[in-house]
Amino acid sequence: MKQLYYDVKKCLGCKSCEIACALAHSLTGELFKALKEEILSLPRKKVISSKDKNYPVSCRHCKDPKCVEACMAAALVFDKEKGMVLHDESRCVGCWMCVMVCPYAAIRPNIKTKIPLRCDKCKDKDEPSCVKACPTGAIIWQEEVVVEK
Amino acid sequence: MKQYIIIGNSAAGISAVEAIRQRDKTAKILVFSDEDYLAYCRCLISYYLAGEVKEEKILYRPESFYKENNIELLLNKKVIRVDSKRNRVICEDKSQFSYDALLIATGASPKFPETKGIKKRGVFGFRTLKDTKGIAGLLPVTKTACVLGGGLIGLKAAYGLKKRNVEVKVIIKSRQVLSQMLDFQAAGFVQKRLEENGIEIILGQDVTEIIGNGDIKAIKLDSDKAFESSLVIVGKGVSPNIDLIKETEIKFNEGILANNLMQTNIPNIYTAGDVCESFDVTRGEHSVNALWPVAVEQGKIAGANMSGDNLNYIGSLGMNSIEFFGLPVVSLGIYKVKEGDTNFTELKLCDIKANIYKKIIFKDNFIVGAIFVGDIKNSGIFLRLIRERIEVSSFKDRLLQENFGYPDIMDLVKDKEQVYV
Ligand SMILES: Cc1cc2nc3c(=O)[nH]c(=O)nc-3n(C[C@H](O)[C@H](O)[C@H](O)COP(=O)(O)OP(=O)(O)OC[C@H]3O[C@@H](n4cnc5c(N)ncnc54)[C@H](O)[C@@H]3O)c2cc1C
Ligand code: SF4
Repeated sequence: MKQLYYDVKKCLGCKSCEIACALAHSLTGELFKALKEEILSLPRKKVISSKDKNYPVSCRHCKDPKCVEACMAAALVFDKEKGMVLHDESRCVGCWMCVMVCPYAAIRPNIKTKIPLRCDKCKDKDEPSCVKACPTGAIIWQEEVVVEK
Repeated sequence: MKQYIIIGNSAAGISAVEAIRQRDKTAKILVFSDEDYLAYCRCLISYYLAGEVKEEKILYRPESFYKENNIELLLNKKVIRVDSKRNRVICEDKSQFSYDALLIATGASPKFPETKGIKKRGVFGFRTLKDTKGIAGLLPVTKTACVLGGGLIGLKAAYGLKKRNVEVKVIIKSRQVLSQMLDFQAAGFVQKRLEENGIEIILGQDVTEIIGNGDIKAIKLDSDKAFESSLVIVGKGVSPNIDLIKETEIKFNEGILANNLMQTNIPNIYTAGDVCESFDVTRGEHSVNALWPVAVEQGKIAGANMSGDNLNYIGSLGMNSIEFFGLPVVSLGIYKVKEGDTNFTELKLCDIKANIYKKIIFKDNFIVGAIFVGDIKNSGIFLRLIRERIEVSSFKDRLLQENFGYPDIMDLVKDKEQVYV
């Protein structure tokens, strides 16, 4: 299962990944057209600065996902085969229970669409769009490594 | 072969079944429900009433779930007594079933006040799909309705009715809406949003009588005012369904007492969800936290431990997330401190124009509760700070800053960081 990792030393905090993410999830996929879409596509990844370093934060597709546990509409499910948390938007009511419990604040409310914003690893593409967009190569897309707890 | 009995086919029961099946593929599992439906998303009945969620989307698990997991589901089967000495349960229809391990996940039922006329046709609780269908059935002839109680359930019921074009008034005894999860100031934001969207809120008054012969015509308040109303929904809180254990040696207060393994004082009897009292991490004592995510979490622990695991439950806390007409609100742990109580301190941010209100409550240098209105994006981080009891003095000044986030706390949390190298 491939996961996103970040070489924090290389991250400049330029937010190219945020833009690429929003664009990848827009209807048209083209910057100038995307900006004119009726509902503006928002990034599912946020770069957060702390103690002079920058950290891209997005959904980690936890194996023991708190958001799935809390989802009172059964819209979020953990797909064992794909190793991913999937979201069935047709079931979602926008109660934001998932936002309340995500230990990374990696799922955020989109009040306009009433559907939470969360990384789907650009599911139809070979790799997440943020990976290529990063000018310094700080975003790493590779097989999972499990660090001992 | 081992036989598990689960009383309750909802959040806690289903999550326990899944945990058992992860560990034990062959044991016999019997699930009892006194309702007539497959497990459904109870919290969505207001959306169902509003017409926003259709019946096929309200099921919590696919229809095939029971078969795939080899579960015997007994619907419409009310357990009236647990016989803990003989390890069996006794049903209303006199049938009996024995167990090796039992989970009591019977949830809770609406409390009805003793108001005159409360038994009349047209007065409903708001807990089950059956209640909801009863209410929906009357909508074609309903123009006006009253909701008694301004808690989560009452407000959600009012929302559902309003969406179906019923003129609705919410009668609230206390001085604010959501007094079980918000302080006065935060409640003001919610109240305003509801009123702007046509839901009338009447504070500081109680209903003394429900009037009408046969059908309901009006309700009368203690101020002697009366309102026309042909439907009444009662949202005055819930009480745990513990009748079935009252004559046993299973210990209970308001709810059945659970230890850190979700076990009762009888070793092979477990309990989870709205029916139980577990250790509350913010209050430091046992408490009923009748919430969906809590029920799922507790059910999971109970199920695991029933099938031989040894999972420790760190405890529950009151928490909730709601949204009315585009205004999101989250409440965590202790949300209100008595005036003059010097054990607690607060950090507050209020921007009335932007509809943003944030409050954090500290005891020493630990966060014990928080309220977020309008901007809830970091609430998961705060929940973590509360649950893991993380000392916050080194970054207290950052807590309410716009770019505060997980990186600020990652060196302090229990789980080792995995993705930043
Ligand atoms: C309108 C509404 C909105 C809500 N909104 C929220 C929300 O926003 N957030 C939140 O966290 N929570 C919310 N809740 C609360 C949430 O639904 C409960 O916390 C949750 O359902 C508890 O699950 P449970 O499994 O413990 O019990 P329940 O869901 O109450 O299920 C109990 C089960 O036990 C069965 N049962 C009971 N007694 C017997 C018996 N004697 N014999 C056999 N079977 C029996 C019942 O049939 C049922 O299957 C809401 C509830 C309602 C009604
Ligand atoms: S949204 Fe949060 S809790 Fe859910 S899988 Fe992603 S990181 Fe985990």
